[in-house]
Amino acid sequence: MRALRLAVRQRAARIALAVLGVVVLLMITGEWLAPYDPLHQDTTAILAGPSAEHWLGTDYVGRDVLSRLLAGSRLSVIAAAEAVGLGLLLGVLPGLASVYVGRVFEWLSLRVMDGLMALPFIIFAIAVAALLGNGLHQAMFAVGVLMAPSFYRVTRAAAIGLRQAQYVEAATLFGATRWRVVRTHVWQKVLPTVVVTTATAMAGALLVVSSLTFLGIGVQPPAPTWGGMLASDLGYLTQRPFGPVAPALLIIVTVAALNALADAMTVDPATTQEAPDALRR
Amino acid sequence: MRALHAAGRAALIAVPVLFIATFITFGLGALSDQNPAAAAMGETATQADIDRLNHEFGLDRPFLERYVTWIGDAVTGDLGRSWFTHIPVAESIGQRLPVSLSIAALALLLAVVLGAAAGIGAALTAGGWFDRAVTAVCAALSTIPAFVAGIALIVVFAVLVPVFPAGGYVPPSQGVGPWLTYLILPAVALSLDSAADLARQLRTGLVTTLRENYVTGAVVRGLGPRRVVFGHALRNGAGPAVAVLGLHVPRLIGGAVITETVFAMPGLGQLATTGALQGDVPVVQGTLLVAIALVLVSSVLVNVALARLRPGSVRTA
Repeated sequence: MRALRLAVRQRAARIALAVLGVVVLLMITGEWLAPYDPLHQDTTAILAGPSAEHWLGTDYVGRDVLSRLLAGSRLSVIAAAEAVGLGLLLGVLPGLASVYVGRVFEWLSLRVMDGLMALPFIIFAIAVAALLGNGLHQAMFAVGVLMAPSFYRVTRAAAIGLRQAQYVEAATLFGATRWRVVRTHVWQKVLPTVVVTTATAMAGALLVVSSLTFLGIGVQPPAPTWGGMLASDLGYLTQRPFGPVAPALLIIVTVAALNALADAMTVDPATTQEAPDALRR
Repeated sequence: MRALHAAGRAALIAVPVLFIATFITFGLGALSDQNPAAAAMGETATQADIDRLNHEFGLDRPFLERYVTWIGDAVTGDLGRSWFTHIPVAESIGQRLPVSLSIAALALLLAVVLGAAAGIGAALTAGGWFDRAVTAVCAALSTIPAFVAGIALIVVFAVLVPVFPAGGYVPPSQGVGPWLTYLILPAVALSLDSAADLARQLRTGLVTTLRENYVTGAVVRGLGPRRVVFGHALRNGAGPAVAVLGLHVPRLIGGAVITETVFAMPGLGQLATTGALQGDVPVVQGTLLVAIALVLVSSVLVNVALARLRPGSVRTA
């Protein structure tokens, strides 16, 4: 992993990795770290400010904000990872195939990706959640499908530049099969850009998850999510104006860390830049 | 003529995209196990009720036939009726579209004005404190989701210092002033991300362009800085920024949906969300179709703008 090694040499990337490590750790251990049951309602302390018992205060029915935040992390991060995983699968494989399989597939996949790009993320995710049953997995399926074009484009852009590379031509002349060329030569070139796109996509997916859960799409009310907590805080701004700060900061810091990591890993501009002329034949 | 040519090309590309996107939209509706009887009557629906309503909404016909009818009706402005309220979907959308479009359009305007000012300023002071400040602010802004920015704006400008309303909407027919006061916070919240991206792209594009020989030539010929930047450099340097703007228009339309909810405005987002939570398939499909159409129209417009800006891009694109 040349990209990752290069990234670790930069300070910003080390901080970003540390932040992400903490988020993942909280996600895994949050259940045991949480001081209270995230659903427990302490009716004697409603909308309380930060105190020794409740470090981040309580919400409108007296639930501990810190505990809900910890419990919500898991749901939000797993949902985002689902979408990115699906986007990776549906983008990278057709992206490689579009260069190596044939004209018909190439034309068809380009049109389908154009079609997907015309769908607005949030509205499409809302629609899918509505039509396939209101669940976060359904919504994330939709987001994953819509993320495919960005993976498709970077993969295709990296692979298409290699089609005429001399060492690939040489490998073909030596009798390497198309599959072997893809596996050994093309993959090397494609992987770094795919890793960078994964980090950016993960940041985007987290934002989409937060937005959807904010709207109430995909979650049943008492279950804590980052977006859902913001939505319930919104109703009590006059009593607790700083209520949204904790969940908002958690979202922003995580997203910023992912973006910083992606920036640091962008090794060679030539491989990440799209080749518009080659793409639009 | 050139612009017309570009518009024609972009429209040609948009047509198959429209069909694929609407086919996906419609296919999802067909895949779902939602039906009007279950949606409207719930558990009490008998098989006879279900059959009757399915027939009324044409759900007993083959899938492709339904798709063709739906698309055909949509072209004439008929998007079917809600399974719940039986109100025509086109009518509901017509009432809410102005709200969403107002937010998105004002956000776009703000993004262009703020982004252009920051981007040009940063490019002209490249390496200086203003440039570094713009870069830092842009990096920070791009990580803040629009709805979080919206909540922050409500806290600051509606709760702590109450100068703007925390939510709601007044149509411009009741006065442009009140309309703008309700619109300003959501539009600012929505525009931040796009403005930051625009500023970044414009800065990069302009810094590169300002190093070109023809710019030096213009300076040597004795043209003033204003003439050099706005008359010569901007035309070439703005290309990537305009292209990025094209990518942001769908985001602004989608983002308007979230922002509306934050500010409790009766827009398309509210329609889609309540429709989604009830399982009202025609409403959701109609909203999505309108959103797709908006995205495609705006992408055609951006292509036309690019063609006017850089005539060469028509031939290669």
